[in-house]
Amino acid sequence: MSAPLLEVRKVSRFFGGVKANLDVSFQVETGMVLGLIGPNGAGKTTLFNCITGFYPPSRGEIHFAGQRIDGKSPDQVCRLGMARTWQKVRPLAKLSVLDNVVVGALLHTISVRQAREAAREHLRAVGLQARADVLAGGLPIGERKKLEVARVLATRPRLILLDEVMGGLNARESEDLIGLILEIKKRGLTQIVIEHDMKAIVRISDRIVVLNSGEKLAEGTPKEVTSNAAVISAYLGASEGAKA
Amino acid sequence: MKRYLPLAALLAASLVIPLWVHSPYALHIFILLFIAVATGESWNVIGGYAGQYSVGHAAYYGLGAYGAFILLNKQIPPWFGVWVAVAISVVVALIIGSITFRLRGPYFVLASIAVAEIIRLGALSWKDLTNGAEGILVSDLPPLKLGAHVITDWNSKVPYYYMGLAMALLCILVNVAVKYSKLGYYLQAIREDQDAAHSLGIPLARTKNAGLVISAALTALAGSYAAFYIGFIEPQSAFGLDVSVQLVLICIIGGIGTVLGPMVGAVVLVLLSEALRANLIAQGLFKLGLDETSPTGLFLKENLAHAHVLIYGILVVVVILFMPDGLVGFAAARLRRRK
Repeated sequence: MSAPLLEVRKVSRFFGGVKANLDVSFQVETGMVLGLIGPNGAGKTTLFNCITGFYPPSRGEIHFAGQRIDGKSPDQVCRLGMARTWQKVRPLAKLSVLDNVVVGALLHTISVRQAREAAREHLRAVGLQARADVLAGGLPIGERKKLEVARVLATRPRLILLDEVMGGLNARESEDLIGLILEIKKRGLTQIVIEHDMKAIVRISDRIVVLNSGEKLAEGTPKEVTSNAAVISAYLGASEGAKA
Repeated sequence: MKRYLPLAALLAASLVIPLWVHSPYALHIFILLFIAVATGESWNVIGGYAGQYSVGHAAYYGLGAYGAFILLNKQIPPWFGVWVAVAISVVVALIIGSITFRLRGPYFVLASIAVAEIIRLGALSWKDLTNGAEGILVSDLPPLKLGAHVITDWNSKVPYYYMGLAMALLCILVNVAVKYSKLGYYLQAIREDQDAAHSLGIPLARTKNAGLVISAALTALAGSYAAFYIGFIEPQSAFGLDVSVQLVLICIIGGIGTVLGPMVGAVVLVLLSEALRANLIAQGLFKLGLDETSPTGLFLKENLAHAHVLIYGILVVVVILFMPDGLVGFAAARLRRRK
């Protein structure tokens, strides 16, 4: 078996006395979609921030594509082929939708013209080509989420981290994004997806990691995880879990 | 390309103006305008595109001015000394940048002011080099020669006019080049959202420093030019906080982060401050029928010229309050609404 694309080894992150992550370990194989779930405050976004270089882990190691990346800065991590979206979307508001994606595409070229061509491709892939010239700040939330994905794709990553791309979306928009995630998977890209909607995460994930209070509670296939008593109790409350 | 036609026409007009305009005062106003355009466009590179509101650009302006004058006193010809001065400010910019760019928002602004003040105090105290508060006077600039042929002996303002025009044009062209380059996209991404930019693979420190170096080099060039034109420098006029603020105001009034903004801001501010200084407002009121000998007339005649800084300040506040995107941003929004 080949080495995993991403390996998180006993990663902990403390904020003062708060243990946002404690000894979290898991691996992500090339081409898979890993679902990362857990109640609010479980440490999912903190873990994303550790992996993408925004917070150095307090303890533990992170290996990506054969390199140790904990301690590297976010731009270095991105250049190694990892890109993320943000739970609270961060459009470059005063730039056009196209220019937002151009910024991502410029990672691989110095030519703005080439980056524009690439950016148009990526906008088409997420279905935003008609909105190319609108200012990004004026997009409704559903399209902002898609823009985040297009911008991330433009950096040509091997691993994509999606932080609640379906948060705040209506059913039809969520369905669009599920289709998009599966489409990206078909292209052979690896993804880690944070999501609250259990139904959605079960549909798209090959494996699921469950965090609770900063620690890994369970890991397995969607079926294993959804029938895990500890997971059910964490999600539904201890007494409900005990009855189940 | 069509949108650059008016600018080309403007350029053509500026090239022929000295053929008809001979008044030294009028040429003086144009030269002030070129300095304002050049410095405003210089600041725009780092303040406008990258959103790093440096209020310490007097550091580079003053280094350009002092560098060129000190080298001239050491018998180094201006045509060479200017570029040495520019190079010095680039080095200083790199040092200042690598310290202050760790800070964000208001902390960066304060740090930029502090660094410029430190350099001003240095210029004030290092008397052997800078002549301290007395400043440096350069009265006999060596004539510009090509071989044995004297091109100009600097008695007329016309050579300054064309040099100033060339400098302003250079700063405008650099702005255009930066704005539509990879660097420009990266600077604007940093302005819009530093974390998002970082996550898209943009090296923050290196990108900001690249922008600052370009900005500082152009500012220093304008500082050297202004020093040679005026013929006298002292720490306050070269390194003072009012110099830094002036650059920022040119961009805020005109429109930050646009190529056109600093040009518009420069025209408005230079004409406004000259009009106020020459008391044109009071004279205009007299022409409109206000009795010059009435108590009000006498009061205005006496005091309005002295209040020019106050009026200038009030107008600036009004523009900032009602047109937060500057005149260019305001006009663009109006045009969009009409469509």
